[in-house]
Amino acid sequence: MNYHPSVVEGSAKEQTGPLENDVVAAPPPGNERSLRGAFLTSALPLLLSCAGIGVVTAALLPMGQRAAANLVPIAYLIPVIFAATRWGLRPALVASIAGIAAADFFFFPPLYSFHVDDPQEVIDILLFLVISLVSSDLAARLRRETETLRQREGEIQHLYEFSRRLAACFTVSDLVAAIQDHLARTLGPDVAFFVAMPDGHFEPPELGSAPQTVRESVAAMVASARISARTIVDQPMRETWLIRAIFSQTAVHGVIAINIGRGSRETIANKTSSVEAILEEVSLTLQRLDIGKAMEDARLRLQAQLLRDAFHGTLSHELCSPLAAIKGSASVLESMPTVRADNRARMLVEAVSEEAAQLDGFIQNLLNATRVTAGGIKPRLQWADPEDIVNAAITRRAKHLSAHRVQTTFAGDLPLVHVDTSLIEEACGQLLENAAKYSPSASTIAVRVTADSGHVIVSICDQGVGIAPDEKLQLGRRSFRSPRHQASIPGSGLGFWIASTFVQANGGTIAVLSQGHGHGTTVSILLPASRPTASGQTPK
Amino acid sequence: MNKPANIVLLVDDEPKIRRFLRAGFELNGFDVTEAENAADALKAATLSAPDLIILDLALPDLHGTEVLERLRSWSNVPVIILSVVASEEEKVRLLQAGADDYIVKPFGMAELLARSEAALRRYFKTATESPVIVAGPLSVDLVSRTVSLNQTQVRLTRKEYRLLHILATHVGLVVTHDHLLREIWTGNQRDNVQYLRILVRKLRQKIEADPNQPRLVITESGVGYRLQNRLQPSTAE
Repeated sequence: MNYHPSVVEGSAKEQTGPLENDVVAAPPPGNERSLRGAFLTSALPLLLSCAGIGVVTAALLPMGQRAAANLVPIAYLIPVIFAATRWGLRPALVASIAGIAAADFFFFPPLYSFHVDDPQEVIDILLFLVISLVSSDLAARLRRETETLRQREGEIQHLYEFSRRLAACFTVSDLVAAIQDHLARTLGPDVAFFVAMPDGHFEPPELGSAPQTVRESVAAMVASARISARTIVDQPMRETWLIRAIFSQTAVHGVIAINIGRGSRETIANKTSSVEAILEEVSLTLQRLDIGKAMEDARLRLQAQLLRDAFHGTLSHELCSPLAAIKGSASVLESMPTVRADNRARMLVEAVSEEAAQLDGFIQNLLNATRVTAGGIKPRLQWADPEDIVNAAITRRAKHLSAHRVQTTFAGDLPLVHVDTSLIEEACGQLLENAAKYSPSASTIAVRVTADSGHVIVSICDQGVGIAPDEKLQLGRRSFRSPRHQASIPGSGLGFWIASTFVQANGGTIAVLSQGHGHGTTVSILLPASRPTASGQTPK
Repeated sequence: MNKPANIVLLVDDEPKIRRFLRAGFELNGFDVTEAENAADALKAATLSAPDLIILDLALPDLHGTEVLERLRSWSNVPVIILSVVASEEEKVRLLQAGADDYIVKPFGMAELLARSEAALRRYFKTATESPVIVAGPLSVDLVSRTVSLNQTQVRLTRKEYRLLHILATHVGLVVTHDHLLREIWTGNQRDNVQYLRILVRKLRQKIEADPNQPRLVITESGVGYRLQNRLQPSTAE
């Protein structure tokens, strides 16, 4: 017989779509060898069925013709039904015809001839034929059903074992091993997995596990960047291979090639669908692995965060007490007459005080940062005068601002703002400190407080180094410090982050405007406000 | 001072803090006694009859708030609280529980002395003392109910005067929003901090050189107001 190599591309419509349509090339059934095998498997039941009839006949013969004639129809049903349940419909038919022949020959007059005299007996024979046909058909059908059920049960059992194994998979390579093992167990040894490598190519399995045609086909599929399901027929062996990509939501992990084997189109379709079921399990597991990986990443990030917060918390607390003693002691020293009289001593003590104050600023930042991440901030909202807040912030940072000119402008009749005053004061203070830090001494820092429909806007404008567009994107990040200033200007990178977090916690927004490097920066805080109090009346 | 030295009781578990507090107070003519825990503090408060108590909140045996409450059950002695955490809610709670003022660590001695003196002045205020409170250019005559700024009389509305009066009687000390609201308004208006904010703004317009940068009536964020008795140099020009 003559076979044409046939390769059928599956339509890449859906990853989980049925593949039955794709299976086109099934080898036509039968060559000589398989015919002989089929003959052997079907001839034996036929012979055994006839033998069964013979046994019944032999058992009936000694009973005498009269008694036997009554029993004949029922007795012959036994081997017929036995054959039907055991071997199927065809042996049962043979058995029933053999039974009729035997009954006619041995028990119905005239004996030892196939002639029938009595019309009643003709009816008996016909009745037997009908009953045996019906019952053998029923029995055969029952047998088929049982077989299908048993087979299905086996498949389900396999699938169950497989999914249990998948549940224990923690990495993609575990998964690949599980698939290979499972498919090899259920379908035979011919499974090949082409593992996707990080650089994008697919590592073929060791030689021998997949024929050349399959390898080429996988290579073509990868090269065309059209990862799809398809079925091909390996021409020399006339075996059907199912090729499918294994992928999760984030990545293609490889391509699997499975030898479905040969057989009728129906067999191929059945096997394909059971392989599909397995691959379905695989893709679910892959999704789970994806989620698991994401969760693991998140857990690690959280741990790092907690560690940092714990560090900040302890550090800040452990530093607070000694610092209070340093600052307090220095302040007492400063006021002592002997120190006041000695110029050098006074300067030294002043240096201690100043450094302690700076250290205190850093620690307060760490404390604020810890406050933000541990349990979040719960603002205690109350109506407050924005002027008060801004003034308090300026007073609090007097030391930092001493080298600059601070110019404040307040619009007349500012409405009150509904905020947690200490948080907003701290936010303004952080921004003022930044303005002073990143602008030259003796330059002006302009603080402007204006009102806009329903909002109060505090803008702090410096004449400093400005912010480059790429730095602007990173500003809100905790601990961000521009590489430009890392060496020259001290800081923890927490300031702006604290300010923006505090402002946001109060229902406000913060905006940064800079014309770029060297052009100064304006940071504006927008806060929710009451109606303007132009008439001096109390706002509602 | 002609009268005998004031006795101050320092309550803090940190010896280094007590050491500089002692030095600072002794330098300024106080007699100092110390206690390192709540039990000692309560004992010392009865035995040595201090005129002023500086109380740290974090004590090993009892929280400072508890100590304050016990003290207040039998004594009106001025108490200034030292605390590490600058939580507005806690400050307000402490002031309501009877503290005269608070100071957040780390602090300078000058600041603590100013508050201590203010607290003592209020506590020992006698009828023989002048009824005029002076704060920088401002003087408030509590008897004639007149206010003058640089010797020029200032006309205040009744509510404005009431506000200034309360601040003046606590000169140098913080007065909580609640306290002011309770004293100035009645009924539902008592709960409205907004009224107070606006009243303060109006008062500032009348008594401050630059109402936008007040130096007399100082806002204590989230807590209340303080009438400053010693003016600090202005920072913003």
